[in-house]
Amino acid sequence: MTAITTKNLTKKYKDKIVVSSLNLEIQQGELFSLLGTNGAGKTTSIKMLSSLIMPTSGEIIIDNKNIKDNRTEIKQIINLSPQETAIAPNLTVLENLRFMAGVYGIKNKKEKINKLIDDFNLEEVKNQKSKTLSGGWQRRLSIALALINEPKILFLDEPTLGLDVIARRELWKIIRKLKGKITIILTTHYMEEAEQLSDRIGIMSKGSLLCIGTPNELIKRAETNNFEDAFVKLAMGDYME
Amino acid sequence: MKTLNFANRNFKEIIRDPLSLIFSILLPLFLLFIFQQFEIPSNVYKIENFTPGILIFSFSFLTLFTATLISKDRATSLLTRLCASPMKASNYIIGYILSILPLVLVQNLLFFIVAIILGLKFTFNIILSVFISVPVSVLFIALGLIVGCITSDKASAGVSSIVVQLVAFTSGIYFEPEMLKGFFKTICEILPFSHCLNIIKSVLNNNYDNISNPIIIILIYIMAALIIAAALFNNKLKGDSK
Repeated sequence: MTAITTKNLTKKYKDKIVVSSLNLEIQQGELFSLLGTNGAGKTTSIKMLSSLIMPTSGEIIIDNKNIKDNRTEIKQIINLSPQETAIAPNLTVLENLRFMAGVYGIKNKKEKINKLIDDFNLEEVKNQKSKTLSGGWQRRLSIALALINEPKILFLDEPTLGLDVIARRELWKIIRKLKGKITIILTTHYMEEAEQLSDRIGIMSKGSLLCIGTPNELIKRAETNNFEDAFVKLAMGDYME
Repeated sequence: MKTLNFANRNFKEIIRDPLSLIFSILLPLFLLFIFQQFEIPSNVYKIENFTPGILIFSFSFLTLFTATLISKDRATSLLTRLCASPMKASNYIIGYILSILPLVLVQNLLFFIVAIILGLKFTFNIILSVFISVPVSVLFIALGLIVGCITSDKASAGVSSIVVQLVAFTSGIYFEPEMLKGFFKTICEILPFSHCLNIIKSVLNNNYDNISNPIIIILIYIMAALIIAAALFNNKLKGDSK
Protein backbone atom coordinates (compact mmCIF):
# COMPACT_ATOMS: atom_id res chain seq x y z
CA MET A 1 0.00 0.00 0.00
CA THR A 2 1.28 3.47 -0.88
CA ALA A 3 1.97 5.80 2.03
CA ILE A 4 3.14 8.88 0.10
CA THR A 5 2.66 9.90 -3.51
CA THR A 6 3.91 13.11 -5.03
CA LYS A 7 2.95 14.30 -8.49
CA ASN A 8 5.05 16.96 -10.20
CA LEU A 9 5.87 18.51 -6.83
CA THR A 10 7.53 21.86 -7.36
CA LYS A 11 8.73 24.62 -5.06
CA LYS A 12 9.87 27.99 -6.33
CA TYR A 13 11.14 30.97 -4.39
CA LYS A 14 10.56 33.91 -6.75
CA ASP A 15 12.32 32.72 -9.93
CA LYS A 16 14.50 30.12 -8.25
CA ILE A 17 13.28 26.53 -8.59
CA VAL A 18 14.27 24.66 -5.42
CA VAL A 19 12.40 21.42 -6.14
CA SER A 20 11.35 20.61 -9.68
CA SER A 21 8.59 18.15 -10.65
CA LEU A 22 9.31 15.58 -7.97
CA ASN A 23 7.43 12.32 -8.57
CA LEU A 24 7.64 9.76 -5.77
CA GLU A 25 5.77 6.70 -4.58
CA ILE A 26 6.77 5.50 -1.15
CA GLN A 27 5.30 2.31 0.25
CA GLN A 28 3.97 1.81 3.76
CA GLY A 29 6.69 0.61 6.14
CA GLU A 30 9.44 1.54 3.68
CA LEU A 31 12.56 3.44 4.72
CA PHE A 32 13.19 5.81 1.86
CA SER A 33 16.25 8.05 1.82
CA LEU A 34 16.76 11.24 -0.10
CA LEU A 35 20.36 11.91 -0.93
CA GLY A 36 21.96 14.84 -2.65
CA THR A 37 24.60 17.50 -2.41
CA ASN A 38 23.98 20.71 -0.43
CA GLY A 39 21.14 22.67 -1.99
CA ALA A 40 19.82 19.63 -3.85
CA GLY A 41 16.32 20.19 -2.47
CA LYS A 42 16.15 17.38 0.11
CA THR A 43 15.15 19.50 3.10
CA THR A 44 12.66 21.54 1.05
CA SER A 45 11.11 18.26 -0.16
CA ILE A 46 10.82 17.00 3.43
CA LYS A 47 9.31 20.32 4.51
CA MET A 48 6.67 20.06 1.80
CA LEU A 49 5.93 16.41 2.61
CA SER A 50 5.62 17.18 6.31
CA SER A 51 3.24 20.09 5.56
CA LEU A 52 5.65 22.73 6.84
CA ILE A 53 5.69 24.56 3.53
CA MET A 54 3.17 24.53 0.72
CA PRO A 55 4.32 23.52 -2.75
CA THR A 56 4.19 26.06 -5.56
CA SER A 57 2.55 23.40 -7.72
CA GLY A 58 1.98 19.67 -7.79
CA GLU A 59 0.26 17.28 -5.41
CA ILE A 60 1.11 15.39 -2.25
CA ILE A 61 -1.06 12.44 -1.26
CA ILE A 62 -0.44 11.04 2.21
CA ASP A 63 -2.45 8.08 3.51
CA ASN A 64 -4.77 8.54 0.50
CA LYS A 65 -5.47 12.15 1.44
CA ASN A 66 -4.42 15.23 -0.47
CA ILE A 67 -2.31 17.37 1.84
CA LYS A 68 -3.81 20.57 0.44
CA ASP A 69 -7.31 19.82 1.76
CA ASN A 70 -6.49 17.60 4.76
CA ARG A 71 -3.58 19.33 6.44
CA THR A 72 -4.90 19.07 10.00
CA GLU A 73 -5.80 15.37 9.66
CA ILE A 74 -2.44 14.56 8.10
CA LYS A 75 -0.60 16.40 10.86
CA GLN A 76 -2.05 13.88 13.34
CA ILE A 77 -0.42 10.90 11.58
CA ILE A 78 2.99 12.33 10.73
CA ASN A 79 5.88 13.61 12.78
CA LEU A 80 9.38 14.80 12.16
CA SER A 81 12.78 15.15 13.70
CA PRO A 82 14.28 18.27 12.11
CA GLN A 83 17.93 18.86 11.22
CA GLU A 84 18.46 20.71 14.50
CA THR A 85 17.57 18.80 17.66
CA ALA A 86 14.33 20.77 18.19
CA ILE A 87 14.01 20.18 21.92
CA ALA A 88 13.04 22.56 24.74
CA PRO A 89 16.50 23.27 26.25
CA ASN A 90 15.52 24.19 29.80
CA LEU A 91 13.12 21.29 30.23
CA THR A 92 14.24 17.88 31.41
CA VAL A 93 13.99 14.85 29.13
CA LEU A 94 10.82 13.76 30.93
CA GLU A 95 9.30 17.26 30.71
CA ASN A 96 10.08 17.39 26.99
CA LEU A 97 8.23 14.11 26.48
CA ARG A 98 5.29 15.30 28.60
CA PHE A 99 5.20 18.58 26.68
CA MET A 100 5.06 16.87 23.28
CA ALA A 101 2.45 14.40 24.56
CA GLY A 102 0.36 17.45 25.50
CA VAL A 103 0.86 18.98 22.05
CA TYR A 104 -0.68 15.87 20.45
CA GLY A 105 -3.28 15.41 23.19
CA ILE A 106 -2.06 11.86 23.91
CA LYS A 107 -4.52 10.07 26.20
CA ASN A 108 -2.41 7.28 27.73
CA LYS A 109 0.37 9.80 28.32
CA LYS A 110 2.16 8.02 31.17
CA GLU A 111 2.30 4.61 29.49
CA LYS A 112 3.41 6.10 26.19
CA ILE A 113 6.18 8.15 27.83
CA ASN A 114 7.41 5.18 29.88
CA LYS A 115 7.56 3.06 26.74
CA LEU A 116 9.59 5.68 24.89
CA ILE A 117 11.96 6.01 27.88
CA ASP A 118 12.44 2.23 27.78
CA ASP A 119 12.77 1.98 24.00
CA PHE A 120 15.31 4.79 23.81
CA ASN A 121 17.13 3.90 27.07
CA LEU A 122 16.46 7.40 28.42
CA GLU A 123 16.00 6.30 32.05
CA GLU A 124 19.44 7.47 33.21
CA VAL A 125 18.97 10.98 31.76
CA LYS A 126 15.24 11.46 32.20
CA ASN A 127 15.60 14.11 34.91
CA GLN A 128 18.45 15.93 33.22
CA LYS A 129 17.85 19.27 31.46
CA SER A 130 17.99 18.55 27.77
CA LYS A 131 20.47 21.36 27.07
CA THR A 132 23.03 19.52 29.22
CA LEU A 133 22.78 16.30 27.21
CA SER A 134 25.44 15.27 24.70
CA GLY A 135 24.65 15.54 20.99
CA GLY A 136 23.91 11.82 20.77
CA TRP A 137 21.41 11.90 23.63
CA GLN A 138 19.76 15.04 22.24
CA ARG A 139 19.26 13.33 18.87
CA ARG A 140 17.90 10.29 20.63
CA LEU A 141 15.44 12.46 22.52
CA SER A 142 14.55 14.30 19.31
CA ILE A 143 13.54 11.03 17.63
CA ALA A 144 11.69 9.86 20.77
CA LEU A 145 9.70 13.12 20.71
CA ALA A 146 8.83 12.50 17.07
CA LEU A 147 7.33 9.11 18.00
CA ILE A 148 5.08 10.41 20.77
CA ASN A 149 1.95 10.35 18.57
CA GLU A 150 2.80 6.92 17.08
CA PRO A 151 3.03 8.43 13.59
CA LYS A 152 2.36 6.41 10.46
CA ILE A 153 5.00 8.47 8.69
CA LEU A 154 8.21 9.78 10.25
CA PHE A 155 10.50 12.33 8.63
CA LEU A 156 14.11 12.27 9.77
CA ASP A 157 16.11 15.20 8.43
CA GLU A 158 19.81 14.37 8.82
CA PRO A 159 19.25 12.61 12.16
CA THR A 160 22.91 11.79 12.79
CA LEU A 161 24.42 15.10 11.67
CA GLY A 162 27.51 15.95 13.73
CA LEU A 163 27.46 12.80 15.84
CA ASP A 164 30.49 10.65 16.57
CA VAL A 165 30.60 7.18 15.09
CA ILE A 166 29.42 5.42 18.26
CA ALA A 167 26.45 7.73 18.77
CA ARG A 168 25.60 7.38 15.07
CA ARG A 169 25.64 3.58 15.27
CA GLU A 170 23.42 3.73 18.37
CA LEU A 171 20.90 5.81 16.46
CA TRP A 172 21.05 3.41 13.51
CA LYS A 173 20.02 0.62 15.90
CA ILE A 174 17.00 2.67 16.95
CA ILE A 175 16.06 3.50 13.36
CA ARG A 176 16.43 -0.17 12.33
CA LYS A 177 13.99 -1.15 15.10
CA LEU A 178 11.42 1.23 13.61
CA LYS A 179 11.83 -0.14 10.09
CA GLY A 180 8.77 -1.91 8.75
CA LYS A 181 6.56 -0.57 11.53
CA ILE A 182 6.31 2.97 10.19
CA THR A 183 7.17 4.67 6.93
CA ILE A 184 10.40 6.62 7.32
CA ILE A 185 11.69 9.33 5.02
CA LEU A 186 15.29 10.10 5.80
CA THR A 187 17.75 12.64 4.45
CA THR A 188 21.45 12.25 5.08
CA HIS A 189 24.87 13.22 3.83
CA TYR A 190 26.39 9.97 5.08
CA MET A 191 26.54 7.41 2.29
CA GLU A 192 27.14 4.51 4.65
CA GLU A 193 24.06 5.49 6.63
CA ALA A 194 21.85 5.57 3.56
CA GLU A 195 23.23 2.27 2.31
CA GLN A 196 22.88 0.52 5.67
CA LEU A 197 19.40 1.73 6.54
CA SER A 198 17.43 2.36 3.34
CA ASP A 199 15.10 0.12 1.43
CA ARG A 200 15.28 2.56 -1.47
CA ILE A 201 17.23 5.73 -2.15
CA GLY A 202 16.42 8.74 -4.31
CA ILE A 203 19.30 10.93 -5.46
CA MET A 204 18.55 14.60 -5.96
CA SER A 205 20.58 17.32 -7.60
CA LYS A 206 19.65 20.95 -8.22
CA GLY A 207 16.05 20.30 -7.22
CA SER A 208 15.48 17.31 -9.48
CA LEU A 209 15.28 13.63 -8.67
CA LEU A 210 17.98 12.04 -10.81
CA CYS A 211 17.45 8.38 -10.02
CA ILE A 212 15.82 6.01 -7.57
CA GLY A 213 16.47 2.43 -6.51
CA THR A 214 17.82 0.11 -3.83
CA PRO A 215 21.46 0.68 -2.84
CA ASN A 216 22.54 -2.35 -4.90
CA GLU A 217 20.52 -1.24 -7.91
CA LEU A 218 22.16 2.18 -7.81
CA ILE A 219 25.65 0.67 -7.55
CA LYS A 220 24.83 -1.54 -10.52
CA ARG A 221 23.44 1.32 -12.57
CA ALA A 222 26.45 3.51 -11.90
CA GLU A 223 28.79 0.58 -12.62
CA THR A 224 30.92 1.26 -9.54
CA ASN A 225 32.28 -0.93 -6.76
CA ASN A 226 30.73 0.87 -3.83
CA PHE A 227 27.80 3.10 -2.97
CA GLU A 228 29.79 6.29 -2.37
CA ASP A 229 31.31 6.14 -5.85
CA ALA A 230 27.89 5.35 -7.26
CA PHE A 231 26.41 8.40 -5.53
CA VAL A 232 29.18 10.70 -6.82
CA LYS A 233 28.73 9.42 -10.36
CA LEU A 234 24.95 9.63 -10.24
CA ALA A 235 24.79 13.02 -8.47
CA MET A 236 27.26 14.49 -10.97
CA GLY A 237 24.69 13.63 -13.62
CA ASP A 238 26.70 10.91 -15.32
CA TYR A 239 23.58 8.83 -15.28
CA MET A 240 20.01 9.90 -15.91
CA GLU A 241 17.02 7.61 -15.42
CA MET B 1 -5.40 22.10 26.88
CA LYS B 2 -2.85 22.44 24.08
CA THR B 3 -2.57 26.15 24.85
CA LEU B 4 -2.07 25.55 28.59
CA ASN B 5 0.43 22.79 27.87
CA PHE B 6 2.38 25.17 25.64
CA ALA B 7 2.12 28.02 28.18
CA ASN B 8 3.41 25.72 30.91
CA ARG B 9 6.46 24.84 28.83
CA ASN B 10 7.16 28.50 28.01
CA PHE B 11 6.81 29.51 31.66
CA LYS B 12 9.36 26.87 32.71
CA GLU B 13 11.77 28.01 30.00
CA ILE B 14 11.53 31.61 31.21
CA ILE B 15 11.85 31.08 34.94
CA ARG B 16 14.75 28.68 34.51
CA ASP B 17 16.73 31.45 32.84
CA PRO B 18 18.07 33.56 35.73
CA LEU B 19 18.82 36.50 33.42
CA SER B 20 15.08 36.90 32.84
CA LEU B 21 14.47 37.42 36.52
CA ILE B 22 17.47 39.72 36.96
CA PHE B 23 16.40 42.04 34.14
CA SER B 24 12.66 41.99 34.64
CA ILE B 25 12.56 42.16 38.43
CA LEU B 26 15.87 42.92 40.14
CA LEU B 27 17.04 45.75 37.86
CA PRO B 28 13.75 47.70 38.03
CA LEU B 29 13.57 47.06 41.79
CA PHE B 30 17.07 48.47 42.15
CA LEU B 31 16.11 51.54 40.08
CA LEU B 32 12.97 52.05 42.16
CA PHE B 33 15.01 51.91 45.34
CA ILE B 34 17.98 53.99 44.22
CA PHE B 35 15.97 56.86 42.69
CA GLN B 36 14.07 57.21 45.96
CA GLN B 37 17.36 57.77 47.79
CA PHE B 38 17.88 61.11 46.01
CA GLU B 39 15.71 64.13 46.48
CA ILE B 40 15.17 64.91 42.82
CA PRO B 41 13.01 68.02 42.46
CA SER B 42 10.63 66.60 39.89
CA ASN B 43 7.13 65.16 40.17
CA VAL B 44 8.04 62.12 38.08
CA TYR B 45 10.30 60.82 40.85
CA LYS B 46 7.59 60.97 43.50
CA ILE B 47 6.87 57.40 44.57
CA GLU B 48 3.25 57.48 43.32
CA ASN B 49 4.45 58.50 39.83
CA PHE B 50 7.75 56.64 39.67
CA THR B 51 6.33 53.23 40.67
CA PRO B 52 4.05 53.03 37.58
CA GLY B 53 7.04 54.22 35.51
CA ILE B 54 9.23 51.42 36.82
CA LEU B 55 6.41 48.95 36.17
CA ILE B 56 6.20 50.05 32.51
CA PHE B 57 9.99 49.96 32.25
CA SER B 58 10.00 46.38 33.58
CA PHE B 59 7.33 45.43 31.02
CA SER B 60 9.72 46.42 28.24
CA PHE B 61 11.83 43.42 29.26
CA LEU B 62 8.81 41.20 28.59
CA THR B 63 9.21 42.15 24.93
CA LEU B 64 12.81 41.02 25.15
CA PHE B 65 12.00 37.66 26.80
CA THR B 66 9.14 36.86 24.47
CA ALA B 67 11.20 37.75 21.40
CA THR B 68 14.19 35.77 22.66
CA LEU B 69 12.08 32.72 23.48
CA ILE B 70 10.39 32.68 20.07
CA SER B 71 13.53 33.36 18.09
CA LYS B 72 15.33 30.59 20.02
CA ASP B 73 12.43 28.23 19.36
CA ARG B 74 12.84 29.06 15.69
CA ALA B 75 16.63 28.69 15.73
CA THR B 76 16.53 25.30 17.47
CA SER B 77 13.73 24.20 15.12
CA LEU B 78 11.42 23.49 18.05
CA LEU B 79 8.90 25.74 16.32
CA THR B 80 9.40 23.71 13.12
CA ARG B 81 8.56 20.56 15.07
CA LEU B 82 5.49 22.26 16.55
CA CYS B 83 4.42 23.65 13.17
CA ALA B 84 4.24 20.07 11.90
CA SER B 85 1.90 19.26 14.81
CA PRO B 86 -1.83 20.01 14.96
CA MET B 87 -1.29 23.20 17.02
CA LYS B 88 -2.92 26.35 15.65
CA ALA B 89 -1.70 29.97 15.56
CA SER B 90 -4.08 30.83 18.41
CA ASN B 91 -2.51 28.09 20.59
CA TYR B 92 0.91 29.67 20.10
CA ILE B 93 -0.13 33.27 20.68
CA ILE B 94 -2.29 32.65 23.74
CA GLY B 95 0.30 30.14 25.02
CA TYR B 96 3.10 32.69 24.84
CA ILE B 97 0.94 35.42 26.46
CA LEU B 98 -0.30 33.19 29.30
CA SER B 99 3.21 32.04 30.13
CA ILE B 100 4.38 35.63 30.72
CA LEU B 101 1.41 36.80 32.81
CA PRO B 102 2.56 35.16 36.09
CA LEU B 103 5.78 37.15 35.73
CA VAL B 104 3.70 40.33 35.30
CA LEU B 105 1.90 39.58 38.57
CA VAL B 106 5.18 38.92 40.40
CA GLN B 107 6.61 42.21 39.05
CA ASN B 108 3.51 44.09 40.22
CA LEU B 109 3.52 42.47 43.63
CA LEU B 110 7.21 43.10 44.34
CA PHE B 111 7.29 46.66 42.98
CA PHE B 112 4.25 47.74 44.98
CA ILE B 113 5.53 46.06 48.17
CA VAL B 114 8.86 47.87 47.81
CA ALA B 115 7.05 51.10 46.91
CA ILE B 116 4.92 50.82 50.08
CA ILE B 117 8.08 50.25 52.11
CA LEU B 118 9.53 53.37 50.45
CA GLY B 119 6.51 55.46 51.34
CA LEU B 120 3.67 54.74 48.88
CA LYS B 121 0.36 54.86 50.73
CA PHE B 122 -1.54 51.57 50.54
CA THR B 123 -4.93 52.13 48.94
CA PHE B 124 -7.42 50.09 46.93
CA ASN B 125 -6.01 51.89 43.86
CA ILE B 126 -2.92 49.70 44.06
CA ILE B 127 -5.07 46.60 43.48
CA LEU B 128 -6.84 48.36 40.58
CA SER B 129 -3.43 49.31 39.15
CA VAL B 130 -2.35 45.66 39.24
CA PHE B 131 -5.53 44.67 37.35
CA ILE B 132 -5.15 47.38 34.71
CA SER B 133 -1.45 46.63 34.23
CA VAL B 134 -2.19 43.07 33.04
CA PRO B 135 -3.86 44.10 29.73
CA VAL B 136 -1.22 46.83 29.33
CA SER B 137 1.50 44.16 29.61
CA VAL B 138 -0.14 42.25 26.72
CA LEU B 139 1.02 45.03 24.40
CA PHE B 140 4.65 44.40 25.36
CA ILE B 141 4.26 40.63 24.99
CA ALA B 142 2.64 41.10 21.57
CA LEU B 143 5.56 43.31 20.50
CA GLY B 144 7.86 40.47 21.59
CA LEU B 145 5.83 38.03 19.48
CA ILE B 146 6.34 40.24 16.43
CA VAL B 147 10.06 40.78 17.04
CA GLY B 148 10.58 37.05 17.73
CA CYS B 149 8.83 36.10 14.49
CA ILE B 150 10.84 38.39 12.24
CA THR B 151 14.34 38.39 13.76
CA SER B 152 16.97 35.73 14.29
CA ASP B 153 17.93 34.53 17.78
CA LYS B 154 21.06 36.69 17.59
CA ALA B 155 19.22 39.83 16.45
CA SER B 156 16.12 39.53 18.66
CA ALA B 157 17.79 40.82 21.84
CA GLY B 158 19.24 43.81 19.99
CA VAL B 159 15.95 44.71 18.32
CA SER B 160 14.04 44.25 21.59
CA SER B 161 16.46 46.51 23.40
CA ILE B 162 15.23 49.28 21.07
CA VAL B 163 11.84 48.86 22.77
CA VAL B 164 13.55 49.05 26.18
CA GLN B 165 15.25 52.31 25.14
CA LEU B 166 12.08 53.73 23.60
CA VAL B 167 10.20 53.02 26.82
CA ALA B 168 12.92 54.73 28.83
CA PHE B 169 13.02 57.83 26.64
CA THR B 170 9.46 58.28 25.39
CA SER B 171 7.22 57.13 28.22
CA GLY B 172 7.94 59.97 30.62
CA ILE B 173 9.42 57.78 33.35
CA TYR B 174 12.46 59.95 33.83
CA PHE B 175 11.28 63.44 32.81
CA GLU B 176 8.12 65.51 32.69
CA PRO B 177 6.23 65.28 29.38
CA GLU B 178 5.88 69.08 29.53
CA MET B 179 9.64 69.37 28.99
CA LEU B 180 9.28 67.89 25.51
CA LYS B 181 8.86 69.97 22.39
CA GLY B 182 8.61 69.60 18.61
CA PHE B 183 9.43 66.37 16.82
CA PHE B 184 10.37 64.42 19.96
CA LYS B 185 7.08 65.35 21.60
CA THR B 186 5.17 64.11 18.51
CA ILE B 187 7.11 60.81 18.62
CA CYS B 188 6.25 60.38 22.30
CA GLU B 189 2.57 60.99 21.57
CA ILE B 190 2.49 58.59 18.62
CA LEU B 191 4.26 55.75 20.45
CA PRO B 192 2.16 53.87 23.01
CA PHE B 193 4.52 53.93 25.97
CA SER B 194 3.61 57.28 27.51
CA HIS B 195 -0.06 56.28 27.24
CA CYS B 196 0.68 53.01 29.05
CA LEU B 197 2.28 54.98 31.85
CA ASN B 198 -0.58 57.50 31.98
CA ILE B 199 -3.16 54.72 32.38
CA ILE B 200 -1.45 53.11 35.38
CA LYS B 201 -0.50 56.47 36.89
CA SER B 202 -4.11 57.68 36.60
CA VAL B 203 -5.50 54.56 38.27
CA LEU B 204 -2.92 54.56 41.06
CA ASN B 205 -3.50 58.26 41.80
CA ASN B 206 -7.30 58.02 41.47
CA ASN B 207 -7.29 60.63 38.72
CA TYR B 208 -9.53 59.45 35.91
CA ASP B 209 -10.00 62.80 34.10
CA ASN B 210 -7.72 62.07 31.15
CA ILE B 211 -7.70 58.27 31.06
CA SER B 212 -10.10 57.57 28.18
CA ASN B 213 -7.78 58.64 25.34
CA PRO B 214 -4.79 56.59 26.54
CA ILE B 215 -7.08 53.54 27.00
CA ILE B 216 -8.43 53.87 23.44
CA ILE B 217 -4.91 54.33 22.02
CA ILE B 218 -3.53 51.33 23.93
CA LEU B 219 -6.48 49.12 22.95
CA ILE B 220 -5.86 50.00 19.29
CA TYR B 221 -2.15 49.24 19.71
CA ILE B 222 -2.85 45.91 21.45
CA MET B 223 -5.33 44.85 18.75
CA ALA B 224 -2.96 45.86 15.96
CA ALA B 225 0.03 44.11 17.56
CA LEU B 226 -1.96 40.90 18.16
CA ILE B 227 -3.33 40.91 14.60
CA ILE B 228 0.19 41.36 13.18
CA ALA B 229 1.54 38.62 15.49
CA ALA B 230 -1.30 36.27 14.47
CA ALA B 231 -0.66 36.99 10.79
CA LEU B 232 3.05 36.27 11.20
CA PHE B 233 2.34 33.00 13.00
CA ASN B 234 -0.24 31.98 10.41
CA ASN B 235 2.31 32.74 7.76
CA LYS B 236 4.78 30.46 9.54
CA LEU B 237 2.21 27.70 9.90
CA LYS B 238 1.28 27.89 6.23
CA GLY B 239 4.97 27.80 5.52
CA ASP B 240 4.95 30.70 3.13
CA SER B 241 7.88 32.39 4.78
CA LYS B 242 10.38 29.55 4.85
